[in-house]
Amino acid sequence: MSADDRSSYAARQAQLLDALLRGGAPPAGFAAAEADAAGRSLRRKRDRAVARAWPALALQLGEEYEARFDAFARVVDAPASGDPLADGLAFARSLGRDVRLGDDARAELLLARAAIRRRGLFVRAAWLRGRRPRLLVVARLPRAGPLHVSVPAGARGRDGGGASC
Amino acid sequence: MNDTHVTWQLGRGVGWRPQLDGAIARARGLGFIEVIAEAIGEHGLPAGVAAARQRGLQVVPHGVSLSLGGAERPDRRRLGHLASVAERVEAPLVSEHIAFVRAGGRESGHLLPVPRTREALEILAENVALAQEALPVPLALEHVAALVQWPGAEMDEATFVRELVERTGALLLLDVSNLFANAHNHGYDARDALERLPLERIAYVHVGGGRFRAGVYHDTHADPVVAGVLRLVEELLALTDVPGVLLERDDDFPPEAALAAELRAIAHAARRGRERRVRG
Repeated sequence: MSADDRSSYAARQAQLLDALLRGGAPPAGFAAAEADAAGRSLRRKRDRAVARAWPALALQLGEEYEARFDAFARVVDAPASGDPLADGLAFARSLGRDVRLGDDARAELLLARAAIRRRGLFVRAAWLRGRRPRLLVVARLPRAGPLHVSVPAGARGRDGGGASC
Repeated sequence: MNDTHVTWQLGRGVGWRPQLDGAIARARGLGFIEVIAEAIGEHGLPAGVAAARQRGLQVVPHGVSLSLGGAERPDRRRLGHLASVAERVEAPLVSEHIAFVRAGGRESGHLLPVPRTREALEILAENVALAQEALPVPLALEHVAALVQWPGAEMDEATFVRELVERTGALLLLDVSNLFANAHNHGYDARDALERLPLERIAYVHVGGGRFRAGVYHDTHADPVVAGVLRLVEELLALTDVPGVLLERDDDFPPEAALAAELRAIAHAARRGRERRVRG
């Protein structure tokens, strides 16, 4: 099989894949309903993996989770590594100010950022004001795994220190 | 051509997943497990897999990322990893898919079908031959469940699969659920397709759960095995004996007792088929 044959085959596969990932119209000759079902199935598989890696975020979004993730997945590819933690981080960031993250989701976000960080020092703190107000400090030291410490609020009231991403 | 003959007996199996570790350790009557090669690190083995080896279970590495149906030749590093896992578990064989998982530098995240054309067959056969050269043990190829089909098919799935295994000498990993899914979703007779597949080249068989949504059967591996798939297991065993049958479950893991019941249901279906064959 010549290089030309392979490259024409590659182009046709890339066209189909693009349509499935974006949820766009499939290339000529494909049944639109079949391509739509296949594309949804790819995005659904991805959203389930992210929901498992980001349970607090998925729980907070509740019934909106699937539609929001689908909208995100149509425009942003999964990371090449396929890592659902990194995929979920990109998703969480894409929500921006649209969604005000609750304490559990903010804690999850900080821990994910520390876990994904491969090099250098990472230290962040978030002030969680739920039923049990506390200061969460998450760190990753060079050549070590992520660490986190949760300090109960006590009597001191404080504002700010939210997780940034 | 690397014409391999099946010399192993695997028996009943379950796809090993970390969430099923305990259930697999306590399951009765298992002969083998399958491990997703890409989920195994560069060195060593997960404790549950090593323990299964020690208990005498055979381990079959199952690759999901070679993209043998892709336009690119299989990546040496991925092949090296699959070969390394095969050596670490002393596998009798490894398996991969008749599918592509990346194109144009993008990953699909799942197995996608190839066109059933002479051109695709040619490229697949070249890629399979390259994989066989790099692997220390025989390779079995699994046909996939496809929600979407390429236009311009020059042959049906059974013929395509037969031609591929005959040309490459590879073995067949027959996935009864994938066959059921494609037959249901694309409107053909599964029993008829079964008879025309190269049953004599079966290395082992996959059975997975799924569900119907709006008339479409989805091969989810997250639901119980449906009755139609169990009937097809029986039909298969009525036609031929197979070296092993393995249950795949990837999500929404059931309680241990439910998993054991599902394994028994598969074994019963296989026994009914075998009895029909023996009676003639």
